[in-house]
Amino acid sequence: MTDYPILTILILLPLAGCLCLAPVWNCRKAVRPIALGFAAAELALSGWLLVAAPGVPAAPGAAAGYFLWEDAAWIERFGIRYLLGMDGISCLMVALTAFVTVVAMIVSWRGVEERTGFHYFLILLMESGIVGVFLSLDLILFYLFWELMLIPMFFLIGIWGHGRRVYSAVKFFLYTLFGSLLMLLAIVGVYLIHGAESGVYTFALPALARAPIAHAAAPWLFGAFLLAFAIKFPLFPLHTWLPDAHTDAPTAGSVILAALLLKTGAYGLVRFGYPLFPQAAKGFAPLLFALAVIGILYASWVAFAQEDMKRMVAYSSVGHMGFVALGIASWSPVALSGSILQMVNHGITTGALFALVGMLDERAHTRDIAAYGGLWGKVPVYSFFFLLFAMASAGLPGLNNFAGEFLILAGVFRTTPLAVVLAFVGIIPPLVYTVRLVQEVLFQTERRPLVLPDVTLREGTLLAVLAAIDVYLGFHPKPLLDILKVPVALLTGGTP
Amino acid sequence: MTAADLWTIMPLLILACGSVVVLLFGAIVPGRYGTAVGVAASLGAALWALQTPPAAATALGVALTPFARFFIVLFALTAATVLLLSHDYAVRHRLGGEEYPATVLFAAFGMGTLAAATNLLILFLGLESLTFAFYILVAYDHRRPASGEAGLKYLLLGAISAAFIAFGIALLYGASGTLDIARAVNGATGGVARAGWGFLLAGLAFKVSLVPAHLWTPDVYQGGPTPVVAFLSTGSKGAAIAFFLLLLPHLADPAPLRGPLWGLALLSMVVGNLAALLQPNLKRMLAYSSIAQMGYVALALLAGGERGYEAAAFYAVAYTVMNLTAFGAVASLEGETVLEGVEELRGLGYSRPFRGGVLALAMFALAGIPPTVGFAGKFAIFFAALKGGEVPLAVIGILTAAVSVYYYLRVVVNLYLRPAEGAAAGGGPTATEGVALSLAALAVVGIGLFPGPLFDLVAAILR
Repeated sequence: MTDYPILTILILLPLAGCLCLAPVWNCRKAVRPIALGFAAAELALSGWLLVAAPGVPAAPGAAAGYFLWEDAAWIERFGIRYLLGMDGISCLMVALTAFVTVVAMIVSWRGVEERTGFHYFLILLMESGIVGVFLSLDLILFYLFWELMLIPMFFLIGIWGHGRRVYSAVKFFLYTLFGSLLMLLAIVGVYLIHGAESGVYTFALPALARAPIAHAAAPWLFGAFLLAFAIKFPLFPLHTWLPDAHTDAPTAGSVILAALLLKTGAYGLVRFGYPLFPQAAKGFAPLLFALAVIGILYASWVAFAQEDMKRMVAYSSVGHMGFVALGIASWSPVALSGSILQMVNHGITTGALFALVGMLDERAHTRDIAAYGGLWGKVPVYSFFFLLFAMASAGLPGLNNFAGEFLILAGVFRTTPLAVVLAFVGIIPPLVYTVRLVQEVLFQTERRPLVLPDVTLREGTLLAVLAAIDVYLGFHPKPLLDILKVPVALLTGGTP
Repeated sequence: MTAADLWTIMPLLILACGSVVVLLFGAIVPGRYGTAVGVAASLGAALWALQTPPAAATALGVALTPFARFFIVLFALTAATVLLLSHDYAVRHRLGGEEYPATVLFAAFGMGTLAAATNLLILFLGLESLTFAFYILVAYDHRRPASGEAGLKYLLLGAISAAFIAFGIALLYGASGTLDIARAVNGATGGVARAGWGFLLAGLAFKVSLVPAHLWTPDVYQGGPTPVVAFLSTGSKGAAIAFFLLLLPHLADPAPLRGPLWGLALLSMVVGNLAALLQPNLKRMLAYSSIAQMGYVALALLAGGERGYEAAAFYAVAYTVMNLTAFGAVASLEGETVLEGVEELRGLGYSRPFRGGVLALAMFALAGIPPTVGFAGKFAIFFAALKGGEVPLAVIGILTAAVSVYYYLRVVVNLYLRPAEGAAAGGGPTATEGVALSLAALAVVGIGLFPGPLFDLVAAILR
């Protein structure tokens, strides 16, 4: 659509921000506006793409469905290319990344007073890594960004975190790295087997997906991919890193972790896992259904028992991502669109919830549910938003999560009714623990005399924007679904 | 020997003569010019090697093949970096005398000779020259008993390994009737040749410290002066990899070597990484890490084929760059003391940001995290292993690599995640250290982002 290498610019813009932070490293007043400026520029660029995206013809030389495409030689000895492409799905994900990064920066505007330069440096670095993940179409390039985004999150949790921050940071890093390393072997395996079968040695996804490998090792290779993605997702029983990482991360870290990093797992499965191994993926579908349903039920059950608000939201995340996995497992157009829509919805709703918990923590220095009560009378604006996002998270019709969940359930019902029945049961517990949370924090009588100022202008504006998006997507998700239509149809083998 | 021969071996002569000049200079001119002369000689040798066309000096048993030129440049640059790192370390630790830079140059001469050898005897002489230099260098810090102890350990085990290698070479010579490397390796068959290879492998396992011949490594790394350990862990390992790469491709039937190499690779990867997990001492941890890293190289050599040998040669460079960075940063951070426990690094990422950052970068590189040279190297190795059909060992290797991340992270955790109370902001590195560390760190990231040219180069030199 233009001659500029927009995709490269999308990746390099946050990195340029990192460089610009270096001279003013220790000056808090300068660091924040500069970092926010770069994040806002990224948001403007990706927002423009999101608006301009529908109806744009495919880029010349690109695989079907991609309207932006960049291809250059990188490591020729191994046939590795610098191959970037943007279709509807990645466009949506990049826009989400840019938006959530801005949210994370505004949320931590006051909370991070130590090593502020380093903090914003890491957020920008992570943005670059996540955008890279959503744009890469060469497996090795994808892997590079996939690992690159671990390092900033490790530091964010480990330096500005709470509680057992070092333990959680190391656990997060090792857990996710373990899965990715096996995926690296599988990537090489795909390359070698595909090359031997077709005579074309390449790491480029479009070529690999055009002729999926029919080797006996395919289920093993898919298993390795699935392991890496399921850890990031996270699917039961590989979710154990998540509550620790979420709870101990600083607010900005939690927001990015929940809203973006988890999405990379789902995105990886949609973009790489299924297209590379369609046959093997079908074989794994029952397992994926089972894990998704168990995840939904188990996470809600555990969330109910949490005393720490952040941990409760973290477990609710596991449940929501279970729905996303459900939709992917069925691989039908409706459910898959629902899953991708739900990725966006969950990013916004859960991001907002983590931001709200972070604001409370910043004021009262505790996240213990039992410490609060009667907030409705004391901080009405805050309580309004808290109630709104809690209800959105529980799937109240008219708010965004409902739209995604409904599409997923409707889509899966056609292929696997049993899974839907079980998952439907799983809709109820979130209501229960959400009502408990709202009731205890907002409406019960005050349990501790806490001095709580209401939201500031900065916080209020941020929450209002998030709430507006929540409501808008709840009533009118069609623009997003229109963007997803073509790529989802291409992925599921239908006609766009 | 003709004048043409002398021109051919000029890069080696520059290194050897440089070594002598440094000694003479020290005796005549007051002041410390050893580093300057040494760096000049190393760079001169590297430049000369780069610009000369390939040629053979048959009468001398050496040839300046593309392979030799590549490794001579690598070793000369390593020596130059080590000299830069040593310059102020020597002052702080009172390691006076021009013998030090002279010996470093002599070691580089030995490494270069080894890489250029076409004759089994020259190969052995090169290996022994460099080992001889390290006997001196490891024990150089004579005020510290640990240094002397390390030197003695290295000498005793080095002598045994030299005997093994000499005997192995003799058996290969006996089986083939020639000292020419290509013909001797290709022509030697039967039980005698197999015994020769057994001795060679045993001796080389000592040199590259593969398990079970690794026991000297932690003691020597802990005891030796840190810049010397930087040189020992890069140059001498690189030379041993070059030794393998000179011999293995000529082998008519590599099948008999598969078993021993498989065992060495497996044990080194598993034992090295697990032992490093338990090490509270920074340098011992790095020693076990280097044992594990050499296990990956053994995996590449085992996988063989052009991809396997390329991966090994690439990793020789990658490993040199990473370890120079790591030990260089440690040497600079040590000041006048000796760093022991990993906890001593607490908060240094903030109080000494440049060197802390460089050390953290080296750790991420050694752990194989992209976009560093360590990732490119590991990728090439596992690629070669899968291509060569070594699937089980590749899976074990990647799992041990996942384990290894824990102990590399421990260094980063101490640098950044556990700030020390009341740590004073320290000064920066000295000028020479700053130059050396900047270049090394730049190479770690630069080659990591754009490994293509180096991959093409190693493919070309092994053709």
